[in-house]
Amino acid sequence: MNDPRKGSDTEPTTHFGYQNVPESQKAQKVAEVFHSVAAKYDLMNDLMSGGVHRLWKRFTIELSGVRVGNRVLDIAGGTGDLTKQFARLVGPTGEVVLADINESMLKVGRDRLLDLGVAGNVKFVQADAEKLPFPDNHFDCVTIAFGLRNVTHKEDALRSMLRVLKPGGRLLVLEFSKPTNGLLSKAYDAYSFSLLPLMGKLITNDADSYRYLAESIRMHPDQETLKAMMVDAGFERVTYHNMTGGIVALHRGIKP
Amino acid sequence: MLGTALLAGVEHGVNRVLRLDGTALPRLAKLAGKVIEIDCQSPAIRLYLLPGAEGLQLAGQWEAPVDCRLSAPAATLLRLATTRHKTAVLHGPDVDLNGDSGVLLDLAGVLQDLELDWEYELSHWLGPVGSHLLGSHLRSRANWAGNSLDSLRQDLADYLSEESRTLVGRREAEARFAELDSLKLALDRLDARIERLTDKLKPSDNE
Repeated sequence: MNDPRKGSDTEPTTHFGYQNVPESQKAQKVAEVFHSVAAKYDLMNDLMSGGVHRLWKRFTIELSGVRVGNRVLDIAGGTGDLTKQFARLVGPTGEVVLADINESMLKVGRDRLLDLGVAGNVKFVQADAEKLPFPDNHFDCVTIAFGLRNVTHKEDALRSMLRVLKPGGRLLVLEFSKPTNGLLSKAYDAYSFSLLPLMGKLITNDADSYRYLAESIRMHPDQETLKAMMVDAGFERVTYHNMTGGIVALHRGIKP
Repeated sequence: MLGTALLAGVEHGVNRVLRLDGTALPRLAKLAGKVIEIDCQSPAIRLYLLPGAEGLQLAGQWEAPVDCRLSAPAATLLRLATTRHKTAVLHGPDVDLNGDSGVLLDLAGVLQDLELDWEYELSHWLGPVGSHLLGSHLRSRANWAGNSLDSLRQDLADYLSEESRTLVGRREAEARFAELDSLKLALDRLDARIERLTDKLKPSDNE
């Protein structure tokens, strides 16, 4: 029986939106998307979500349990929305690492945080979520917001996050998920596949990147699947909270 | 999500107001890292306050440990927010306070001492001349209203105590209270004297 993940040249394939691409090419293609949208990422986030992404991130902060002196890793931190809040919470005795695989996004995030005066307890690291360049048992909290669906090997990334967490530390995965209401799901589909690419075209002159966004969301594991993946990776007490009718879900797991 | 959105809106408004006072944010910065839980019993609402250099962060839930937890009915919390004598309210029977109460009192002190520079905020909209003119006018009206209110209060007190004799005046009442105190002391002395004389008149055990 043929393995669906294998291409004709036997190199494993993975999805990039609705396309199947060789695994070695996915990271490059995702990088191209984010290089293209980095400059107007925040503006597009506000427009696409009507500003609600700020509430999703706010809820993530509330559930993080981060306190003064903690060490936090914000993977795929992008323009630094979460890092900014974490830097305030951990204080001068703590540390926040903003990690992103994409150089353009990291640069935008670093410039933005420095312009806001967020410095001293924040480090910027270009890193692959699957191979995190940090010691074992190093962080009190690891977050990945709207980043996991772009990772080629999600299981490897989850295991890598588990490794760098201290025992008792928590992982928070904020990601698009599956709407729980059929009607909402239909409206959401219509919005994602017609309005999103149009907005992308008008504002960043790049409809394809936003078409990829809509497709990658549909290809991402739903709430229960992601929960099972986190349990398989070794997390305990894994729970999730649906937000905005399940359009976004926040998964939380504890390292035993 | 609705609660989170509401809190975000309130937080934005509160922090805008706090920025109108030049000393509030530096004082709040000293409380950075502290978490205060306000548990309103009726209606049941839980709120977390996180002071910091940028103002107050409000949260509907907070997973990290809190430094101070205040639990009380809404009416008591309102009284606590408005009164200057907070310690008396905090010792009330319906108030449950756990943890470092100093954090709560410090935060309440910052909010109590707010002196908002409305004129500065107005100047963004009306310009310096317009905001000064409006500010001066409003200040003089406020002073006039305050003076009129004080005068009315004094006149009313004088009328009720001196003219209509409906109420007893403060000085008259104090004089009566002083007389009552002297009388009570005299009675105590008399009582003690009678007791001493009674003891003297009692036949001695040796006789």
